[in-house]
Amino acid sequence: MVDFSLTEEQTSLQEMARKFARSEMLPRAAECDKNSRFPEEVYRKAWELGLMNLNVPSDFGGSGLSLLDQVLIVEELARACAGMTTSILANCLALEPILIGASPEQKQRLLAPFCASFHLASFCLTEPAGGSDAGALTTRARRDGDAYVLDGEKCFITNAPHASLYTVFATVDPALRHRGITAFVVPRSAEGLSTGKDEDKMGHRASATSTVRFEGVRVPVDDRLGAEGDGFSIAMRTLDQTRTPIGAIALGIAQAALGYAGEYALQRHTFGKPIAEHQAIQLKIADMAQAVHASRLLVWHAAWLIDHGRKGTLESSIAKCFASDAAMRVADEAIQIFGGYGYMRDYPVEKLLRDAKLTQIYEGSNEIQRIVIAREQLKGAA
Amino acid sequence: MEIVVCIKPVPDAETRLRANPAGTALDGEGVKWALAGYDESAVEQALLLKEANPGSRVRAVSFGPAPRTEEVLRAALALGADGATFLEHPAEVVPDPLLAARAVAAHLGRATWDLVLVGKQAGDDEAGLFGGALAELVDAPSFGGVMALTYDASARRFTFRRSVEGGAEAAEVPGRAVLALQQAWNDPRTAKLPNILKSRRATIDKVAWATTAGALGPLGTPTTQSVGFRLPAPRSGAKMIDYRTPEEAAEKLVRLLQEEAKVFP
Repeated sequence: MVDFSLTEEQTSLQEMARKFARSEMLPRAAECDKNSRFPEEVYRKAWELGLMNLNVPSDFGGSGLSLLDQVLIVEELARACAGMTTSILANCLALEPILIGASPEQKQRLLAPFCASFHLASFCLTEPAGGSDAGALTTRARRDGDAYVLDGEKCFITNAPHASLYTVFATVDPALRHRGITAFVVPRSAEGLSTGKDEDKMGHRASATSTVRFEGVRVPVDDRLGAEGDGFSIAMRTLDQTRTPIGAIALGIAQAALGYAGEYALQRHTFGKPIAEHQAIQLKIADMAQAVHASRLLVWHAAWLIDHGRKGTLESSIAKCFASDAAMRVADEAIQIFGGYGYMRDYPVEKLLRDAKLTQIYEGSNEIQRIVIAREQLKGAA
Repeated sequence: MEIVVCIKPVPDAETRLRANPAGTALDGEGVKWALAGYDESAVEQALLLKEANPGSRVRAVSFGPAPRTEEVLRAALALGADGATFLEHPAEVVPDPLLAARAVAAHLGRATWDLVLVGKQAGDDEAGLFGGALAELVDAPSFGGVMALTYDASARRFTFRRSVEGGAEAAEVPGRAVLALQQAWNDPRTAKLPNILKSRRATIDKVAWATTAGALGPLGTPTTQSVGFRLPAPRSGAKMIDYRTPEEAAEKLVRLLQEEAKVFP
């Protein structure tokens, strides 16, 4: 049987996230977007309330939520501000490799500080010359006694200027391609680690993004996650977990766009009646509602599958790809419904389009998602 | 110190309200209930007192219909209350502030407590009867509109402020008291996610209606009765201004205010 009803627990998580989003995030969203300000006070409060580190099990002091619980929360947060949501979620992404690849001792040592006080972590996979082709990364890790020496550069790293810990993917031998990739954790204090300028982005401007450089950074063997060569698999398994919440960010953006558009259409009059009574607008609203509804079902379903022990590669890729494409269309139509006002920064909808764009690109571009979807689909056809 | 905080579910500010078919009361169907307003302030005050006085415990108590009453008790647990007591209120018993006070007083007679905090009035009917009635029934002093409550353990005294016409009054009360809290002066906290999860699994102590009814004896006639319930009529008379620029809108508005509304010359 299929059961789409949320438990009382889930409803209260959703309500709590909605309340936080409305009272803490939404009032700051336009200002942080305009000034590209990283609202640390919001992130601290999110941490205090347990809205960060959602995926860290309660044994280590985290919230230990199921993926379905997580996406319910993420949608609510992203409705208020996708950029802030990206920064809030960055810890989940950066800590997931530890959950997947670390030894019990490492987990205790590395995760506990994040749950004891406010800290940010960054996931460092993408490089200037290679994003989607993760197997081709060039950051080197050379073994030197009981340590590795890291050299290279990562780019587009969320929260990097503010992080205290970095999960880094580097290769012990580029000739081995993905079999050479190894995962490490590197504290900010490590000598030779530096971050670049905060990038001036199109959207998600409340989130900070920069390069991270490694110049002869010594990393003790104790800070390697898994064995040499496990890195690629750790990275891919991490993305299998975090892809669905990206779909939920896109869903939140689309839901916000639909909400604003509906409200505006009821209140704006042309030709003597609210524009919501014009069929041209109704058709738009209907298409937008379909896109949002379908996105939500796909996101929930992917999360449910993963919670039930399936890999969910196909379904999470579909959810991420569909929801982010839908968010673009829905945000675009919301601007169209607002007309000239929608194009103005004084109104909230143009930000949604700029924010939606990134969801088609990050954590696996939609082209990569389509490759994955096709591959998974054709497996079944053979 | 044992602090009891009495709360009641009220319709959430965002829920849509409508009258029941008989037009005598709110139709509870589909209404979202919440811990809100004065009660939220009371819970916050109880938690602040607990934090300032280590070893204190906060117990939320509510007399009302299931399941909404259990929901607000869980909300209080999520905020930090140590325990919750649900006094059952069967649907066939007419809701009445005095009956609520009698039911809670009967319960308090079986419990240990040093202080009872309540909202000054409920966020829905705003009756403001419960706190005073409860104080009378448990024979304790009572104040309304209380803010910034502190406890002096050595003198066993509560001190607080009250807003009064034109200023504030400082007051103190020794020992057991029933204090009714002013709204929104203490910035009620948000429940933390792990506490929300814990509150869902927490046990709520349930007092069966039979127990309460047994302690109360004959219920008598309700002291208050709702005879009519109507929503405010939609407002009319609004004038929409057509404009192209904000300047034009302001100009037209000023003219209307001067010439039609005669707000200023």
